[in-house]
Amino acid sequence: MSGTRTGRISGDAAPLAFNENPAADSRQSRSVPAGTQSHRLSSGGQIDRKHPLGFTFDGKKMVGFAGDTLASALVANGVKLVGRSFKYHRPRGILTAGAEEPNALVELRGGARREPNTRATTAELYDGLAAQSQNRWPSLRHDVMAVNSLFSPIFVAGFYYKTFMWPAKLWEKLYEPAIRRAAGLGKASGEADPDHYEKAWAHCDVLVVGSGPAGLAAALAAGRAGARVILAEEDSRLGGRLLSETGEIDGKPVAEWLADAQREIAGLTNIRIMTRTAVFGVYDGGTYGALERVNDHVAVPPAHQPRQRLWRIVAKHAVVAAGAIERPLVFPGNDRPGVMMASAVRSYINRFAAMPGRQVALFTNNDDGWRTAEAVQRAGGAVAGVIDSRGVVPEGYRGLNLRLLSGVVSEVNGGVDGVRGIVVRDAGGRTQQIEADCLAMSGGWNPNVALSSFQRGRPAWRDDIAAFVPGQCPPGMVMVGAAGGDFSLAACLREGHAAGAVAAKDCGAKGMAGEVPRGDDEGFAIKPLWHVEGGKAFVDFQHDVTASDVKLAQREGFESVEHLKRYTTLGMATDQGKLSNVNGLALMAEATGRDIADTGTTIYRPPYAPVAIGALAGHHRDENFHAWRLTPSHHWAAARGAVFVDTGLWKRAQWYPVAGEKDWLESVTREVLAVRNGVGFCDVSTLGKVDVRGPDAGTFLDRLYINTFSSLAVGKARYGLMLREDGLVYDDGTTSRLAEDHYFLTTTTAKAGPAMQHLEFCRQVLWPELDVQLTSVTDQWAQFSIAGPNTRDLLKNLCDPSEDLSNEGFPFMGVREVALRGGMRARLYRISFSGEMAFEIGVPARYGEAMAENLMRAGAEFDVTPYGTEALGVMRIEKGHVAGPELSGTTTADDLGLGKMMSKKKDYIGRAMAGREALIAPDRQVVVGIKPVNKANRLRSGAHIIPKGAAPGPDTDQGYLTSVCYSPMLGHWIALALVERGRERHGEIVRAYDPLRGEDMEVEITSPVFYDPEGGRQRG
Amino acid sequence: MAEYSWEARSPLRKAFAPGRIGLASGDAGIAMAEISDFSLVQVMARRGQVANVAKAAKKAWGALPPERPAAVVGKGATLIWTGPDQFFVLSAGSVPDPVPPLAAIFGGTASLSDQSGGRCLIQLSGTRARDALAKVSSIDLHDAVFPIGAAAATSIDHTGVNLWRGPDAANGSSVYSLLVFTSFADSLWHTLADAAAEYGVEATRTPLS
Amino acid sequence: MRIACPFCGERELGEFTYLGDAAPKRPLAFAADGAEQPDAQDLFFDYVYLRDNIAGDMNERWYHGGGCRSWLTVTRNTTTHEIKAVRAAPGAGAQKPAKAGAIS
Repeated sequence: MSGTRTGRISGDAAPLAFNENPAADSRQSRSVPAGTQSHRLSSGGQIDRKHPLGFTFDGKKMVGFAGDTLASALVANGVKLVGRSFKYHRPRGILTAGAEEPNALVELRGGARREPNTRATTAELYDGLAAQSQNRWPSLRHDVMAVNSLFSPIFVAGFYYKTFMWPAKLWEKLYEPAIRRAAGLGKASGEADPDHYEKAWAHCDVLVVGSGPAGLAAALAAGRAGARVILAEEDSRLGGRLLSETGEIDGKPVAEWLADAQREIAGLTNIRIMTRTAVFGVYDGGTYGALERVNDHVAVPPAHQPRQRLWRIVAKHAVVAAGAIERPLVFPGNDRPGVMMASAVRSYINRFAAMPGRQVALFTNNDDGWRTAEAVQRAGGAVAGVIDSRGVVPEGYRGLNLRLLSGVVSEVNGGVDGVRGIVVRDAGGRTQQIEADCLAMSGGWNPNVALSSFQRGRPAWRDDIAAFVPGQCPPGMVMVGAAGGDFSLAACLREGHAAGAVAAKDCGAKGMAGEVPRGDDEGFAIKPLWHVEGGKAFVDFQHDVTASDVKLAQREGFESVEHLKRYTTLGMATDQGKLSNVNGLALMAEATGRDIADTGTTIYRPPYAPVAIGALAGHHRDENFHAWRLTPSHHWAAARGAVFVDTGLWKRAQWYPVAGEKDWLESVTREVLAVRNGVGFCDVSTLGKVDVRGPDAGTFLDRLYINTFSSLAVGKARYGLMLREDGLVYDDGTTSRLAEDHYFLTTTTAKAGPAMQHLEFCRQVLWPELDVQLTSVTDQWAQFSIAGPNTRDLLKNLCDPSEDLSNEGFPFMGVREVALRGGMRARLYRISFSGEMAFEIGVPARYGEAMAENLMRAGAEFDVTPYGTEALGVMRIEKGHVAGPELSGTTTADDLGLGKMMSKKKDYIGRAMAGREALIAPDRQVVVGIKPVNKANRLRSGAHIIPKGAAPGPDTDQGYLTSVCYSPMLGHWIALALVERGRERHGEIVRAYDPLRGEDMEVEITSPVFYDPEGGRQRG
Repeated sequence: MAEYSWEARSPLRKAFAPGRIGLASGDAGIAMAEISDFSLVQVMARRGQVANVAKAAKKAWGALPPERPAAVVGKGATLIWTGPDQFFVLSAGSVPDPVPPLAAIFGGTASLSDQSGGRCLIQLSGTRARDALAKVSSIDLHDAVFPIGAAAATSIDHTGVNLWRGPDAANGSSVYSLLVFTSFADSLWHTLADAAAEYGVEATRTPLS
Repeated sequence: MRIACPFCGERELGEFTYLGDAAPKRPLAFAADGAEQPDAQDLFFDYVYLRDNIAGDMNERWYHGGGCRSWLTVTRNTTTHEIKAVRAAPGAGAQKPAKAGAIS
């Protein structure tokens, strides 16, 4: 690989300093200390030295550059210690330069915007960024809980399960809170998130995940061919590993080739570039979940912009070029601050011009690790030595004059300030000390197979690269380049290009994919080294799982990888084992004597990277938690001060308080009395309404309802009851016949949607031979119930004088269109839910508000009173009409007192099953009325009915109160109830027992019809 | 005797305020309009009558009803596909009952229901209209997939919506029409305005022409 | 998951609701001569409650309620979620079904 010099280090003894004088730029006049970047290279990298950014870490002021991540800025500032480990509170430093980071988790921002567990390696630096370390007290350097480390011999895998087993009741109150305090991550702000999040859909032919060499080649090939391409890149800029490596493509330095590729992509309008967008999940039918961090790189999002956006991307094909993740080596002291992944060291040097150490040692078991030594050397850094467990210098690195030490690292010396030196042990057990302040390690590369495995694809083991490669990918997906296990630059370019071209062609793109970009075909050789014995060697850094924990799990019988994971919590931290899983199962394989392929992997599940709940909720929070529906008279009612209640998605007027009323009961009582003694009206537009039309409409309804509708005369309404096919009651409502081939069916508010689905099922699936058409007209009609003895007089004012509203001209259950004064036509239905003389009147919804106003006008002389759903409910209970609480899905028509409606002459939904033994048993609970014996007592819905003198319990439970109200007409509380053999027990005294509220009172079983049992008022 | 007047009111009368919503600087990326004063009738062919319904529509508006999701502009009406063998007839002008004239056109071949009061018509256009719609709609609105005349019976915020693309605006931007349920209109207007806010919205109200 | 509605084209799962096994056929409570089926309750019991739970290809009923309101029969592999066929219910649209009571 021919390289370009990317920078030089300005000497060993002196602090590394940047060459250009920051003060020369006008943007630098702010009061940040300029000279803190002790480890910044004087040139090179893709940072903007003209654009310094001030930030703080644990309150300490520092400076980085535009293009930095928080981690690279910390490296440049010489910061080694960034966090404490989860369990043992061990000092930890930055380990990686990417999304796999397990150690450098910080709290970003403050106040309500505080965001815990943010990976410093992916957090873009912005001016004023404030980061705090986590899981330490009182400070990062002096962490009291570090004593946990002294007890580490007892904090082994399964420790919690073993120690805190008994007494179990102490778990919730004592053990868990204590453990959570001692071991943990950052803290959430506890306040409502002030930013907003949203969700969006995107569609394409070819989704390319990742923009390294393979991804860019794929996007270019598919884009040139003419396919619709989305190129998703987690990073803020395109390039992937190209940003961190040197070398040549098509004879040009990679940086130059990358710039050219970006220009070409930007010119192709059929390629959509989505940076800062991590594809985290794969779902059925080519749907991909992705999180765009729209404004995570600024302190506060610009007005009207979201912080994050959750994408659902629908793609015919996906080319996943997600790269590979370098694997740590498991050796004693491998978690010391200053021990870093070799590829991360290259990233910090080449991309960020930050040198992680002054004396860099390298520990590797493969060829690729040597590239880091080369990079350090090329940047002018000092390489303390390369420890290769294979004991040979790979071809291509022989001319570099690097010191090879054959053997392994057996000890790392150092503390909170990082690595001071390492001990190298050779095959013969001889050790030697080496001075170094940074140890780069490379245990090989794990292809990033996650996206291939989310639909149960099992990764396959490849011995030659000592890694898992993708198994069966989800339909439409291919994995290419390093993600597919082919690590050379040439292979990445070749495979990406081919996959992009094939995917585009399959989507019908006819254009040419262009030439395959040419890169070096550098070899990759590895000889696995899974574990160096001798001390605490970490496998899972974030969850503090060590090599000996894995072996302990094996000894205790937890040999399956799924058991290993749960017993040791290996791979269960926020990084989901990106670094640790393969090492963990390799150690398990070693311990059990199986090979790695047989040991297998745990099941991968989305999300690949953490996704905030806020992003998943998107727009749906606070007042937008769900959509809302408004009735036609909503704004009119709101202007009158109505109190609204959520009924499903609807907002309905519950009551209309007037000045001086002290509570809802007073308002509702006034409304009921006003209706019963005068006239009132209520918006009932929320009832489901369906136009049932066609020659077979009557036959259709006969099969739907338990009673008959084909015989209903035009101009008449009838109450109907539907059952479910299992024989229990489904829904009820009135249905009117408006023409020979036109019925107007109503459902309850709650069942409007499901009933429409049920009706369509009957029409399309059960009885396609019937010529009937169904249209929901719920929203078309503003419908008001007008009730009370003065109803007819009010209507006389409202209707054209030619309309005959007398009992003869408009009998009970009559329906017809009428002319209203002022030139409006309305549908008028003489039906009553309140038991009073009542009509329902319907006009197109756009006239609903005018109708409310005109009802007030027409009823002014009778002191007409608008009433809400509470008064509506009170009046139906007084009349013994069943509603939702009685139509509970457990009652039969007969339970509700409606058994006589069941036709014996026809089939209908639920007919056969309604005759089952248990549904016609004589001891069923049926609807009755309930009055308190002591009239001052308040009844409570849900109270159980038990016989006098019986001990409350399942054996003596005979039913419960379903609907309860204060009856203004009777002057005391009343209820409807479902009571065993209730119809035979009118007059019997039983108890209403309510253990929830500690109440127990005598009540009388009565007829459910409390008010006007003869029904004279509604027919009057 | 009191005077009775019957003014039609929009379900958006509280949600809607003419003028700028969201991003206040620069040109508004989105024009969002409530289209008022229309008649809308649901036409459903009766069994075995699809050909006769098509013939009647052709005679009345010079256009065949769409057989697949599409919006067809005829003389005096737009025919919008709503489902198999069913469509909306959308025409300018609000009348108390638009069904009788259509009953005369279709005779007994179709079932008709007035939906003029049951739907609210919202139009989105502007350079960023598609970006805003992508936040609420799962439909692919790419030119190649959803050209002028395309329609979809779909859902926005779990609510049924009839969406179609009409002729482009004078400034060349795409125009999307959404028929939404009247009771949901207030809620969906807010949702659409929120989705569009980052691009800047100019809100207007115009009668259907 | 995405389902290709025969009328609307491919749509996302959220527009559909699931009913389950499409195999059960609603029995007739009355025979052709108008007499009640003596075993109607048994037949209906099977219809209402007995469902196969197939690991593999299964015919299922789905309702495109968030779209064209058509009932569909979807052939879906319950282990891979692969959808092999989608057909409209016989009564969707305004076609006259081939025979009365025919169920796809």
